[in-house]
Amino acid sequence: MSEPTLDAAAAAAAAAGAVAAEPAVSAPARTRRLSTATRAILRLAQPRARWFLPGLAAGVASMLCAVALLATSAWLITRAAEQPPILYLSMAVVGVRAFALGRSAFRYLDRLSSHDAAFRQLSLLRVGVFSRIIPLAPAGLADTGRGELLTRLVRDVDALQDLPLRVVQPLATAGIVAALSVAGVWSVLPAAGLTLLLSLVVAGVLGALGSGVLAARAERELAPLRGNLTGQVLEVVENLDVLTAFGALTGRLDALRRADELLRRATLRRSLGVGVQGAVLSLFAGAATVAALAVGIPALAAGGSGGAAGGLAGPAFAVIVLVPMAVFEVFGTVPAALGAWREVRSSAERVATAVPTEIPAEIPVEVPVGVPVEIPSGGATGPTRGERARIVELTDLGARWPGAASPAVTGVFLRLAPGDRVHLAGPSGAGKTSLAQALVRFLDYTGSYTLGGVEARLLPQSEVRAVVGLCEQRPWLFDDSIRQNLLFARDTATDEELLAVVDRVGLAEWAAERGGLDARVGERGALVSGGQAQRIALARALLADFPVLVVDEPTANVDEEQGDRLVRDILVTAAEDGRAVLLISHTPVPDELITARVTLPGRDPGLRRAAGVLPA
Amino acid sequence: MRPLDPRLLRYASAARWFLLVGAALGLAQTLVVVAFAWFLSRAISLAVAGYGPAELAPTLGALVVVVVARAALVWLLEVAASRGAASVKSQLRARVLGRLAERGPDWLAGTQSAGVATLVGQGLDALDNYFARYLPQLLLAGIATPILVLVMLWQDLPSGITVIVVLPFIPLFMVLIGQATQAVQRAQWDALQRLGAGFLDLVGGLATLKIFGREARQADRVRTITEAYRGRTMKVLRVSFLSGFVLELGSSLSVALVAVSIGLRLVDGSLQLGVGLFVLLLAPEAFLPVRQVGAQFHAAADGLAAAEDVFAILDDAPAPAAPLAAVWTGPTDAARPANAARPAPDALRFDRVRVRRSADRAGRAAPEFTAVFLPGRLSVIRGASGAGKSTLVAALQGFVPFDGQISLGDAVVVPGTPRPWLAWAGQRPGLLAGTIADNVALGESSADPALVHWALREAGAGELDPATRLGVNGDGLSGGQAQRVAAARAVYRARLHGCRVLVLDEPSSALDPVAEQRLVSGLRRLAAEGLIVIVVSHRPLLRDAADQVVELDGAAHV
Repeated sequence: MSEPTLDAAAAAAAAAGAVAAEPAVSAPARTRRLSTATRAILRLAQPRARWFLPGLAAGVASMLCAVALLATSAWLITRAAEQPPILYLSMAVVGVRAFALGRSAFRYLDRLSSHDAAFRQLSLLRVGVFSRIIPLAPAGLADTGRGELLTRLVRDVDALQDLPLRVVQPLATAGIVAALSVAGVWSVLPAAGLTLLLSLVVAGVLGALGSGVLAARAERELAPLRGNLTGQVLEVVENLDVLTAFGALTGRLDALRRADELLRRATLRRSLGVGVQGAVLSLFAGAATVAALAVGIPALAAGGSGGAAGGLAGPAFAVIVLVPMAVFEVFGTVPAALGAWREVRSSAERVATAVPTEIPAEIPVEVPVGVPVEIPSGGATGPTRGERARIVELTDLGARWPGAASPAVTGVFLRLAPGDRVHLAGPSGAGKTSLAQALVRFLDYTGSYTLGGVEARLLPQSEVRAVVGLCEQRPWLFDDSIRQNLLFARDTATDEELLAVVDRVGLAEWAAERGGLDARVGERGALVSGGQAQRIALARALLADFPVLVVDEPTANVDEEQGDRLVRDILVTAAEDGRAVLLISHTPVPDELITARVTLPGRDPGLRRAAGVLPA
Repeated sequence: MRPLDPRLLRYASAARWFLLVGAALGLAQTLVVVAFAWFLSRAISLAVAGYGPAELAPTLGALVVVVVARAALVWLLEVAASRGAASVKSQLRARVLGRLAERGPDWLAGTQSAGVATLVGQGLDALDNYFARYLPQLLLAGIATPILVLVMLWQDLPSGITVIVVLPFIPLFMVLIGQATQAVQRAQWDALQRLGAGFLDLVGGLATLKIFGREARQADRVRTITEAYRGRTMKVLRVSFLSGFVLELGSSLSVALVAVSIGLRLVDGSLQLGVGLFVLLLAPEAFLPVRQVGAQFHAAADGLAAAEDVFAILDDAPAPAAPLAAVWTGPTDAARPANAARPAPDALRFDRVRVRRSADRAGRAAPEFTAVFLPGRLSVIRGASGAGKSTLVAALQGFVPFDGQISLGDAVVVPGTPRPWLAWAGQRPGLLAGTIADNVALGESSADPALVHWALREAGAGELDPATRLGVNGDGLSGGQAQRVAAARAVYRARLHGCRVLVLDEPSSALDPVAEQRLVSGLRRLAAEGLIVIVVSHRPLLRDAADQVVELDGAAHV
């Protein structure tokens, strides 16, 4: 991209229907280069030409009507002052009215069409990102394990809609209309065209530079102060009881006031830079008008006195003097578009970071379909073949999270046969959850993990997960009815079967109180408590009838008493079904409920001491 | 939603200041706009009339001055808006936090603390747009539009009348269309909300879907949800974009009407070119602020919504002057017949304490609680979950209103006063960013290292290094470690201030048996020193170690 001006580059980009807006805008604000991954995400966000161009065309038509309305009005009035026969004015009168209607009608079409295009693209964008997430989730999504970061990712994906709507389209429209206006003025009086072009270029470059540099500098100074304040506010609000009880509230509020004052002072210092962009545009809009007058008056005088064919007539003079005002009004959308671009770019960068293009080595890759796997057949004696296929054996198993320096868990030896109920204990940080994630193949493993004698790495992931199920530490409930939250575990289940399983996990009364299976669980299960969510998750696992079930810290978000009951229910139902269970829990489990107990030691001695495994 | 909430002016003096400055700048801007149109129309008409560059030089000079002044005013107004927003945010933030401190944790719990934190932290930033883009335009609509219309009336009556006739139609149609939009939106609201959140739901639940082998078809579901979302949103937008259409149409049509009428009157010679151009240039300027107010309303809506949430907190009047707890007026002796026999001058007594909770989760009335806790004893409070154990502790802390009476020795515990005799650790550890020692010595200006070490040991956390730095929310410690540090914090306070009562709410729910045993031993030692130690728990280990187990129904089992 070597176009000299911002708007020309954007216009070229739009004409090609491509996403070339990024190089166009990053040229003036050359602070950071876009990575290939970010570019790929941005490309996914820009609608194809077939969807995008109608909106752009309507937008350009609307803006051209706005310029033409002022130009025609100026011509009409100036020509009328020469008192020609009224017939000579009728075209202009029609034009003025048509442009007035056209401006608003095309604007309406533009907004509808461009929003429709953006929404169409959103569907492709979401599917594109989602397809990339599928093999990664959940362990390979960088740092999105925490709920709010996941929400952030989804919000960022949706914010990319602004790329066509608020960045490419306004820039392209402003660029095309400015270029056409310059051409029009040029054809009347080349000198006036030149001054208009210069004003636009200088205003565009200065405005973009000003917006880029000043905004970036202000953000660099303000962001940490704002982050500090937000963090302190959150701490005070969340711990109001603690701070009150320990008499520490006054001190904290004073500290908060100081942080607020720092931010306020910095914002006030930075405020001088805020309006520069608008002022620059206003200044150059005026400059363009004055310049048009300055070059037009001599030309008019020459035309008037000499009466030569090349001279400038009064009405044309009025047009070239007033058109710059209208063009700069159109051009006024550029600063907002540049601001939107900065936000879109950050969103795209965050999405690109959170969803890596390449699957990290720690995440298992799907076995190609059709690779034959030698499954050793069971001997004549010993467990039946069906039972053999359900035996899980771990030998020196280890697992590591993407980006982690050391494995989260190492050296696990474990054998789970049908009917085994094993309590896996161990201090926090010992890798209990990592082990669970490895067992359902969300994390790859080192060492050996066999399922019915076959190395799990050689099996399709879906086949492993058909045998080994997981009740997650924070089970996800979909914002739907209880029925839909159970049904996807076994979509052939009848209502009777669903009610039976609800009863087995001790939710029958609770569900009945809420109106049965149609009761909604709320967004992210907001309408159910932690214990009930765990029970619904358990019901799902029972429905899916996993021969081997891993239950990860079912009591983490449940109060003590409910937790004890929940653990009992999990183990009792498993015993009834002859299911193998690996119960991961840091809290003690009564001996009579389990068949074996395994304790994962912490990895390094420091941690082990801290967790109370080794004597200090 | 009102465009300018009077409460904003009441609660934030900076907003009043901004309105004054903004109005002055708006007035100046209007004058500059009129001057610009005047000099420009004069320059054009004189040039057309045949004046040369030399005669027009002064007019051009004046125009340059006006252009510079206009740019300066644009800049000043934005600077003022930015400063106003920063100061208003500070003032509102300080007021809300002050109110939180005044009303206490229980009130906060009823208002969704996460929402309050977000509101005070980032939510108020939405006011930036309100101040930067909306309020100035609102001011201009109030100042510039009337002045410009007056100037037009004075210069050319028919044009002025045209504008006066068209102007009122704009708000009228906007209101009508706004109502229509609302009706459409209301009909679609639920579906829109659900479809809008549907993608998040699928991404968030992807791990769960994979566990059940359901990930394959979800991409199609994403497409279906998004397409449905598009269909419904476009239905709403078709109507709501109409208001923008009316704005544009009103302003451009009136420019067209003015232009044509001026043109016709110029032809018959009843109007001067200079006047005609002047009026033509003013016409769109008269509509500009009105258009901007309409166009920027959505940008401002978030800020207004945030401000309204703040006002809701500030308007929520403090509880009536009546004390949080009614002093027990019944026959005191009859109230505690069981205790009358055994004099216990330093005991902590709950006499028919019933927490006044407006909305109990299960809709039940809180149980009445009567119990005596003696110094030197380790007492355990048990009760079904949701029975109100933690609420009872909150009553002891003075965070919630209650009926009945709590007394320590001879002194009645009055709500809303400091409790120097009480040390407490809640169900949630509530650790803060800083070192472990900072956390243990919370509320003190400096930490006594020996005492910190001792407190950690008594809480079963002797192996932790007090100098370890924790992140926000005690990041860096496991759940069990955080629980023990919170317990140590209460122990530290109890020792430093000679507190007579130590209350721990479910201190061992995340502890392994070894750590729990160490905590219990520590608590026994503290009780032996003469403290009243109360633990809310139903762990067998604690129950077995207790001198007294109290069921929340009020019956004491000694």
